[in-house]
Amino acid sequence: MHTLRVYRRSLGAHLRATLEYQADFWILVVAAVLTQGAGLLLIATIFARVPRIHGWGVWEVVLIFGMMVLAQGTSELLAEGTWGLAGLINRGELDRMLLRPYPCLLQVCSSRVGMNAFGNLTVGGGLLVSALAHLDVAWTPGRVALAAVLLPSALLIKVSLTVVANSTSFWLRGAINTFAGGLDQLGELTKYPLSIYSVGLQAVLATALPFAFIGFFPVSVFLQHGRLAWVGLLTPLVAAWCVFLAVTVFSRGLRRYESAGN
Amino acid sequence: MASTSALVEATGLVKEFRRPRKAPGLAGALKHLVTRRFDVHRAVAGIDLRIDEGESVAYVGPNGAGKSTTVKLLTGILVPTAGEVRVAGVVPHRDRVANARNVGVVFGQRTQLWWDLPVHETFELLRDMYRIPAADYRRSMDRLCEVLEIGPLLPVLARKLSLGQRMRADLAAALLHEPRIVYLDEPTIGLDVSVKDRVRAFLRQLVDDGTTVLLTTHDVGDIEEVCRRIVVVDEGRIRHDGPVGVLRDTLASNSTVRFQLAAPAPLHLIRERLPDAEVTTGASERDLVVRFDRTLRPAGAVAATVMGLVEVRDLRIDDEGVADLIRRLHDRDSPAALNGAG
Repeated sequence: MHTLRVYRRSLGAHLRATLEYQADFWILVVAAVLTQGAGLLLIATIFARVPRIHGWGVWEVVLIFGMMVLAQGTSELLAEGTWGLAGLINRGELDRMLLRPYPCLLQVCSSRVGMNAFGNLTVGGGLLVSALAHLDVAWTPGRVALAAVLLPSALLIKVSLTVVANSTSFWLRGAINTFAGGLDQLGELTKYPLSIYSVGLQAVLATALPFAFIGFFPVSVFLQHGRLAWVGLLTPLVAAWCVFLAVTVFSRGLRRYESAGN
Repeated sequence: MASTSALVEATGLVKEFRRPRKAPGLAGALKHLVTRRFDVHRAVAGIDLRIDEGESVAYVGPNGAGKSTTVKLLTGILVPTAGEVRVAGVVPHRDRVANARNVGVVFGQRTQLWWDLPVHETFELLRDMYRIPAADYRRSMDRLCEVLEIGPLLPVLARKLSLGQRMRADLAAALLHEPRIVYLDEPTIGLDVSVKDRVRAFLRQLVDDGTTVLLTTHDVGDIEEVCRRIVVVDEGRIRHDGPVGVLRDTLASNSTVRFQLAAPAPLHLIRERLPDAEVTTGASERDLVVRFDRTLRPAGAVAATVMGLVEVRDLRIDDEGVADLIRRLHDRDSPAALNGAG
C-alpha cells in the first residue's frame, strides 16, 4: 500500500510539473487524436468497400483498436519513465535511484508522465464505449465479470511489455533504445485482427511477444468470436507471465549496471 | 579510533570494469561487433577500510584513483568484483533498501533532486519514500532550512537553481532522514568561496553532532576544516591512512622563502652556501625562491645566509601545507613522496 501511494505521489508531482507547459499539453492531446484518427480512417476506408475482414465486422475491429489505444495511454501514464531508461543508464543517473529505499523499477516508471496519455486514454475509452454500444452485447453477470478480469490484465500486459522492451537498454547501452521503439511498432500490428497476418507473425505476436493479448484475444473471447476465442481466457495468465518477465529482466539488467565515471 | 563499533567495514574490496577494445573509426567498431575484445580495468584493487561511528574521513587521491568507485561500492550502487562490504551491519548492494535508510549521499557533480520538480516536491517524495514521520520531518526541515537557508528555494524548479543553491538543496535532501553516515563526493566542486565556507561550516557542525562523514575531495580546505583522518588512494589502492595533523607534520616539512632582491641573484654563490636547498629564480632575475627542509635548518638561517650575500628588499616564508602534499601525491612520477608517511 505504501509502495502504491509513493508511486501515485511521484506520478502526481510529475504530472503537476508537466501541466505547467500548457501548450505542450494541448499539442500532444491533439496529436494523439490525429494519430489514432488516421488509424480509424484506415478502418473506415476498408469497411466502406468490404463488409467483413476474416469474419470481423467494423465495430468489432474498432473494439480491438480501442483496447490498444487505451493500453497505450495506460502505459504512457504509468510507465512512460521506462522510455528514458536508456538515457538514465547511459548517463549513470540510476545511481540516485539506487540510493533510495524504494524499488528502482518503480522509480524509473514514475520518473515521467507521457503527455499524450490523456489524448490516448480519452480516444481509447471513447472507442471502447461506442464499439460496445453498437455491438449489442448482452451484459450478463458473467460477461461483466469477464470484462472486469480481461481489461486490467490486457492493460498490465502492455505496461509490462514496455518495461521488458526498454530493459534491454541494460545490455544495449546506447543513449536511446531504438530496439524498444521497434518492438513497440511491431505491437501496433495487433490493432487489427490477427488472422490477417501470416501464420509465423501470428505465432510471434501470440507467444514470444504477446501483443495480441492486449486487444485481439481478450476481444475474441469477450465477443465469443472465432474458433480460437477460448485462447482469450489465458489473458490473466499471460499478464502474470509478462509482469514476472518485466520484473526479472529489469532486475537482471540492474545487476549489469555499472554507473558512469569513476 | 579506539575499537568502538565499526560503521563501515570493507575487506579486500575489488572492482573491475570491462572496457571494449575497439580500433578507431567505423571499421574498428564493425570489427568489434564480430570479434569482441575487452580490456579489464581495475578501478579498485583491494581496499581494506574501517570507519568507526563518529569519524570524519577525507578520501583523497588523483583523478581516476578509484575514489568515486569506492564510494559507489560502499553505497551499494556498484556490486564488487571481489571482497566484502558492510555498512551498519548491512551489505549495501544486497539490501539496498535497508542500506538507504542508514546512509546519505551527495554527489557534487550530479544532483539527486528530481530535475523537473520544485525543490519542495523532492523533499516530500523523499519523506514518503523514507517513511519519515510528520513530526520528525518538520523538525528536520526546520533545522535544515535554518542552517542551509533553503527556505526561499523550496518553490523553485531544481533545474533553475544556481550551483550553490543546488548544492545546499542536495545536502538537505541527503540529510532529511538523519542518516548515520554521509558520503560526500566532491561536495564543494565549482562553488565560490563564500558558499564553500558555508558548506564546510555545515559539514563541521554535522561531524560535531556525531554523524560519520566520508568526504572525497581535491580541496585542501575541505580536508583541513572538516576531517580528522585522511586516507590517500592511488591506482585503486590505499597508500596512506592516518590523522590529518600527523600527515601535515611528517610529510610537509618543506618550507619556501621568497626573496625580492635589489640586484640579480648570484645563484651559484647561494647554492654553494645552501647545498641541500633548491635555489631558483622566480618571474625575474631579482626574484629568488629557496626551498628547503625546515627540519634541517630554520628559515631564519636561510634568510641570514642570503642577506649576507645580496641586498634583500622583501621576503616571504611559505610552509608547505596539505595542499602541496596532495599536489605531490597527484604527481604519480614521484611515489617516493609517499613512502615517508608509510
